Order: sequence, then C-alpha cells, then structure tokens
Amino acid sequence: MVFIVILIASYLLQMVLPWWIVVVISFATCGLIGKTGKISLWSPFFAILLLWTGMALFKSLPNNNILALRVAGMLGVNSWILVLALSALLGAFIAGVSGFCGYHFRKAVLTKKTNA
Amino acid sequence: MMNKIKALICIVIPILLTYALNTKFGDTPPLLRFLNPFTGFWQNAENTRVAANKKLVLKGTLQNVDIAFDDRMIPHIFAQNDHDVYFAQGYVTAMHRLWQMDFQTRFAAGRISEVVGKKAIELDKYQRRMGMVYGAEKSLEGMMADPKSKEMVLAYTAGINAYIHSLSQAKLPVEYKLLDFRPEDWTPLKCALLLKQMSAVLAMGSDEFYMTNIRKKFGTEVVKDLFPDYPFKEDPIIPTGTKWDFDPLPIPTPPADAAEEMLTGNIQTKQKEEGIGSNNWAISGAKTKSGYPILANDPHLDLTLPSIWYQIQLHAPGLNSYGVSLPGAPGIIIGFNQNIAWGVTNVAADVLDFYQIKFKDNTHKNYWYNNEWKNTTTRLEKIIIRGGKTEIDTVYYTHQGPVVYLQKPEKFSKAQNIPVGNALRWIAHDKSNELKTFYLLNRGKNYSDYRKALTYYTAPAQNFVFASADNDIAITANGKFPLKWKDQGKFIMDGSDPKNDWQGWIPASQNPTVKNPPRDFVSSANQSSTDQTYPYYINWEFSPYERAKRINDRLSVMTNATADSIRTMQTDTYSIHAQNILPAILPLVDGSKLNATQKEGFSLVSAWNKHYDAKEVAATIFDLWTKRIQYNIWEDEFNVDGVPMRYPSRDRTVQLILTQPDAKWIDNVNTPQKETLSDLVNEAFKYSCDSLERKYGPIGERWQWANFKHSNVPHLAKIPGFGSKTLMIGGGKMTIDALSESNGPSWRMVIELGKTPKGHGVFPGGQSGNPGSKFYDNMIDTWANGQLYDLFFMQSVDDPSAKIISKLKISKK
Repeated sequence: MVFIVILIASYLLQMVLPWWIVVVISFATCGLIGKTGKISLWSPFFAILLLWTGMALFKSLPNNNILALRVAGMLGVNSWILVLALSALLGAFIAGVSGFCGYHFRKAVLTKKTNA
Repeated sequence: MMNKIKALICIVIPILLTYALNTKFGDTPPLLRFLNPFTGFWQNAENTRVAANKKLVLKGTLQNVDIAFDDRMIPHIFAQNDHDVYFAQGYVTAMHRLWQMDFQTRFAAGRISEVVGKKAIELDKYQRRMGMVYGAEKSLEGMMADPKSKEMVLAYTAGINAYIHSLSQAKLPVEYKLLDFRPEDWTPLKCALLLKQMSAVLAMGSDEFYMTNIRKKFGTEVVKDLFPDYPFKEDPIIPTGTKWDFDPLPIPTPPADAAEEMLTGNIQTKQKEEGIGSNNWAISGAKTKSGYPILANDPHLDLTLPSIWYQIQLHAPGLNSYGVSLPGAPGIIIGFNQNIAWGVTNVAADVLDFYQIKFKDNTHKNYWYNNEWKNTTTRLEKIIIRGGKTEIDTVYYTHQGPVVYLQKPEKFSKAQNIPVGNALRWIAHDKSNELKTFYLLNRGKNYSDYRKALTYYTAPAQNFVFASADNDIAITANGKFPLKWKDQGKFIMDGSDPKNDWQGWIPASQNPTVKNPPRDFVSSANQSSTDQTYPYYINWEFSPYERAKRINDRLSVMTNATADSIRTMQTDTYSIHAQNILPAILPLVDGSKLNATQKEGFSLVSAWNKHYDAKEVAATIFDLWTKRIQYNIWEDEFNVDGVPMRYPSRDRTVQLILTQPDAKWIDNVNTPQKETLSDLVNEAFKYSCDSLERKYGPIGERWQWANFKHSNVPHLAKIPGFGSKTLMIGGGKMTIDALSESNGPSWRMVIELGKTPKGHGVFPGGQSGNPGSKFYDNMIDTWANGQLYDLFFMQSVDDPSAKIISKLKISKK
C-alpha cells in the first residue's frame, strides 16, 4: 500500500514540483500509514528506485543513451548503466531514509501523546 | 524530552539530506537536481526520432512563418517580412543554442563570476577593463541608429525571449543544470557583446609591450633588421603590381622622439604562436568547368562544441540567403544567395594601441596631455560573485580609452602583454554597425551592392572575398583603419603627445581591393594585404605567407575547376615552410653522429613528401625540429629575466638560415665556444628525435603526426565527456588545412555560382547545442574525412529538392 501510494503520488507530483517532493511524500506517507520501520524504509526505497529507473529509461532508450553516455564520460565511468544506477539509488536512498524518519517521527509524537 | 529530540532528528535528517543533494558545492553540481529523471539531465535526452510537424502560437510575429528542418536539422525559414524572419531566426537559434549564446555573452560582458564564483574574478575584471561592455554599448548605439539593423536586433531579441519564456526547469539546456544557473532575458546589448567578442578573438593581439622592450634592449637598428616592416617572403592578398586608383590622404607626421621606457614584468619570453588564421578564395569563370565563378572559405577558430557556427536559410520578400550565422547575432555572416557569395578571413590590422599615461597623482584623476592636465573619467564595473560579496571595480578612462591595469594581476595569462599604467585605444570601442553590412550582403545582387555593404563595416577587419553570377570576383581588406604614420603603434606610445593619437581614417573606398585581376582568381590567408606600394600603413606584421603561397600556387595552374577540385584543395596539407627550409637544413645534419633512432628519423624526413598527413612520422619530427632550431637561435638573446620580449618571426628565421648563416645571432651567448648554424641544426634534430622517443618509445606508429597532434573539438566550457573524441587527421597550422590540436577550419564552404547556385559545406559539430541530441556532433566525421554536404538552397517551403524531416509553423493565433 505504502509502495503504491508513494509510487503514484511521486509520479504525479514530480510533473509539476521539484524532485525533493519525493522526500515529503515518503515522509508523509510513512508518517501516516507506515506499519513498521522496515516497511517505511524499503517501500519508499523501492518505489522511487522503480519510478526513477523507469522514467530515466523512458527518456534515455529512445535517445540511444547518447546523453547518458556523455554524462558517464563526464563522471569518468564508461557505462551509462552506472549513471542510471547512481541516479536511481540516490533517489531511492533519500526516499527510504525519509520514509523511515517519517515513521519514527509519528512514533515519537504518538508516544508523547500517550505519555501526556 | 527524549521523544522531542527524536522527532526533531526525524525531521532534520531528511531536510539536511535534501539540502545536501540539492545544492552546488564547489564544482560539484547539485546532485539530485542534476540526476533526477523528472527535471534533471535525463530530460535532455532527445528522442532520436524527430516529430514531423509542429505548430506554435506566438504573439511576436506579424504574419505566419514556416520553418522546414532538413535532415541535418538545418532550419530553412520562410517568412513574409523582415521582422518575422529575424524573429524566427532568434527563436530557432535559441531552441538549439540557448546556453551557448548565454554563456558566450556573459563571458564577453565579464559576468562569469556570477555563474562559477570567485575563481573567474580576474577574467571578468580583464573583460571589463579592456572595455568590452563599454565597446558593446557604443556599438549598440550604432546599431540602433539605423532603422534596418534596429529592426533586425529587436526582432531577433524578441524571438529568443519567446523561446526562453516557454522553458520549464525540465527543458533547460543541460549545462544550466550542471552549472546550476538559469537563463535570463536576452537584450540587444547581448548581440553587441557577441560581436565585440569576435573582435576580441580576432583583433586583440598586441606585441607592443614586447617590441618596446626589444627596442630598448637591442636598439632601433636591430628592430629594423629582425622585426622588419615587410616580410622576406610574401605573396600579398592584393596581387603585387595592382594599381591604386585614388589620391591618398596626407599621412600624419610622427612625433620627433618616441617614448623609451623599459617595461618589466614577470613573464617568460615565448615563441610567437601563429595567430588565428583562415583561408578564402574565388576563381573566375575562366578557370571553372561551368564558366561561372566558384568561391571558397574556411575560417579557422578555436573549435568548440556546441559549434561556433549555426547554419540557416533566411527567406523573406527581397531576401533568400543561406549560410552560417553566429548564435547571438541576426543575419548570415558567411554564405550565398541567388546572385552572389561572400566569405571572410581576418586582417591582422593594427587597430589596438597602448599609450603610456602620466598621472598627476595617485588619485588618477588627472593626466598630462598636450602640455596640460586633463581629467580622466571613471567607469564603475559592478561584478557580482556567486557565493561572495559584489565587487566594484573602478576603471579610469583617458580620451584614448580605458587604463587597463594600474596593477597587474598575478598568474593571469591574458594580462601578460598588457603594459601597466597604459591607456588602451582599440577600434572595438568605437560606435559601429557591422550588422548593416551583413543585412546588405544577404540581399546583395552584384559587385556594387557588395562594395556598398562593406562601407558600413568597422571591426574586426576582414578580407571579404566575393563572387557573383555576373562573373565578377573581388576581394577587399575591409574595416575601419586608422590613418597612421608608418609604424604607429608598433611600440608603446607616449600618451601626452597628440601626434600619437589616431588622427583620422583611411577612406573606406581606399581600402585595399581588387576586382577581376588578370590572374583570374583572388585569395587570402591572413598574409600582408598589399605589396609595399600601398600608400597607407595597416600593420608591420601579418600572418606568415605559407598558406597563401600554397593556395596561389595551386590556383594559378588550375583549369576546368569543379567544386570537387576546390574541396580537395581545402584539405591540402603540403608545407611550403618545409619546401623552403629543408633544402638548407637537411645537408647540415651529420649522419655519422646520429644513433639508430635518429638515423631512421633522418631518412624519413629526407624522403618526406612534405605533406602533414595523419600517418606521417616525418611531419612530427620536422615540426619539433624546426621549432627547436628557432629556440636554439633566439632563446639566448631574447629570454632575459624580468624583460618580456618575443622572438623574431618564422619568416625572419627562414631568412637568417637561408641567407645569413653566419649572423651573430646564431652563436649561443651563454657558452664559451662559438656555435655554428650546423651545430644548432644538429642539436635540434637529435633533441626532437630524443624527446619523441622518450614520450612515445621506439620510432613507429605512435610518432605519427595525428597521434602527436591529438586533434579534438572540446566543449565550450571544457566539460569532460561533452567534447569530441580524438580525431586522427592530418593538417597543420601552416598548411591550407590549418588544423592544430583544437584550432582549425570551423566551417568549410564551397559555392558554385550560376543560374542556380550550388552550395557545399560542413562544420565540425552539429546544429544542436544539446549533447543529448544526435545532431550535436553528427557532422564531425564528414568534416574529418574532408567531405562536404550539399546545402539545400530552397526556393519555397515545399521545395522537393530538399530532404525535410520536420516542419514548424509559427502563427499569431
């Protein structure tokens, strides 16, 4: 569920908003409906990994990867796959961390309420 | 409490991470802003299949405009009035080249620190202090004063802005994402800045600082001997013996005594690098198969991707012209139309002089001129620095121009030839309107239109070659030339003496020109404009004559020429320098004292056909060898600590070797024994072979000229990966195919005039400035192979002779 929500919301909102909206979406989604820490870490991670890989391939394959290869050259590697992996993993990483933080933020706030 | 901290940490971590991945640190781009596939660089990956038809509604045009893109993505614009044609030119040029246009004009204006931060501050100051913005403002006045050029500039600007305003973050050119800045609105001043930058590239050279030191150290006689006012070997642009059919103006008188002050600086003497050169020529119908003239041009510049030039066809009532434009300036610079063709090479006119200024005191508010104190004016240059505090740089101006440096920046190579405390008089600071020249040439029908167009041109001075379907050919060394006394500006001048000022201009009609000469061809390759009978002084030194000599040698024997014979000539790699000097130096080499490698090298050079071809090992050895000979002859005298000087020219060196082998300059003054020319030549030969062996191992493939030369086309901002691969091709600076490491033919064009003109051309790059487009570098291989494309000179937007892959229609509603 978390996975699907993040995937769809990230896809739609990134059409109009900067990339960091995925951080907000992951945080909010996991903060609201994240069941466990584990789910809140890996669902956003894989959602963004999939979404970004898909979008990058959607742009890059019809381009014969011309640009991805040039960027690979700029970064000093010789494979555009590595550039794709770097892009998707970095996005996935920050989404995962953010989801995890969202979940623990709720835990912290909720515990506080119970205490009070 | 614990939970509060935990909650806080949970918020802070994602925010910090986001910040870190969304911010530029040093030269590292904002990582995820660049890498994310929704707005980052992936969005610049252009589909290799091009959409066939597109419609656009823009408010800026007066009527509908049709644009057809051919199979190399070259736009053919069909508009119904002047305004719309330049609006559309602005729009499509921005569509393909926005970042390049923006970056080049920021560079010209001294605004790179705004983009890259403090490291560009000296560059920005240099641009400002040389008066680039001051000159562009003057130039803009000139453009705006003429209704035609004003319309051109304003429509072009509006077209660029219509494109800029349509851009989202995702659509920004990739370099913006990498360097993390945004485009700003285009202005007419930017068009002027771009043209000023061309002046800076082509007419900013100055040896006055060095020459003044040489005169001080060695005296006037040595200067006359080693730095003569006319070369030993020459083949001038206007053929020797051409009569001047005008009454020249009186030449101003020079002052009685010249300023004699030794200028010091912390600079090493260097061999004079061959300047930026170009070739053009036109042959009359008498020499061609078709009976109509053929015109050729290949301007040599520092090659870059995105390409320097942008091909375009402009069609409107009274206008149908095809050629290359400069991204950032409306109109076509080099090209052809139904009736005429034209091209340019640089004239190395001396249009930049330095004046030593005597200030009253350290406030620099007054300077001594014509026996009284005059006021300087000041110009405040505001330099915005990314991540730093804005700097205000005060520049003092005398009536001559800006005082470039009162204190020289350290470790900034461009400042090396600028004398401190001197005012700069430079033609590029004058009001001018070069666009009008191109406006008229684009519409020109015959020789008299060509002559009229040239009168509007100021700088950078160019050899305008011309051919028409009426079977006229002509060439004119054209620009606004100051009326100077002989050698005025060869040395730094005393800024207090009015006799040293520029005192008028050579009338445009008296600029060196020739029409239909008896030899049936005209040509130029940056050599001396005229023989020594021309009544005016343009400069004391031009580019060496070897390329020109080879061009003229080949053209004089050419008959029944076709576009193909001209094309093969543009890639000729034969070295006249080798032809001149090898017979004199080869016999001096003592074979018995050579080791095995040197012996093999020697036999290769002895058998060499004198062509700088890609696979020639002999070319590599010869190149190093002759450079080393120059070094051996001059280095001991001309490299003195703290006194920047330059070597005598290659031409003078050849003269010395051929006719004065016992001159006193041969001896190395730093050794007790007396060296002979033979000693220097032998040392140089061994040195060149030994250093090649150290670098490339035993003599073989790795010694080949192409491998040694390492030609490539780098990205404009030197972004790694965005340039071309290494091109294994021949050519050299002193051959017609003047390709060195990354300077060379930036556009090769051959036009066959006739009832219907036929154009052929190529440049090393592509139409698109987007590294993610297949049209970014698709022409490089054709260029490297010495081939040309047929250019589609369309008569209407539906002309079936052209291969059109895409159409764009701009309409008002």
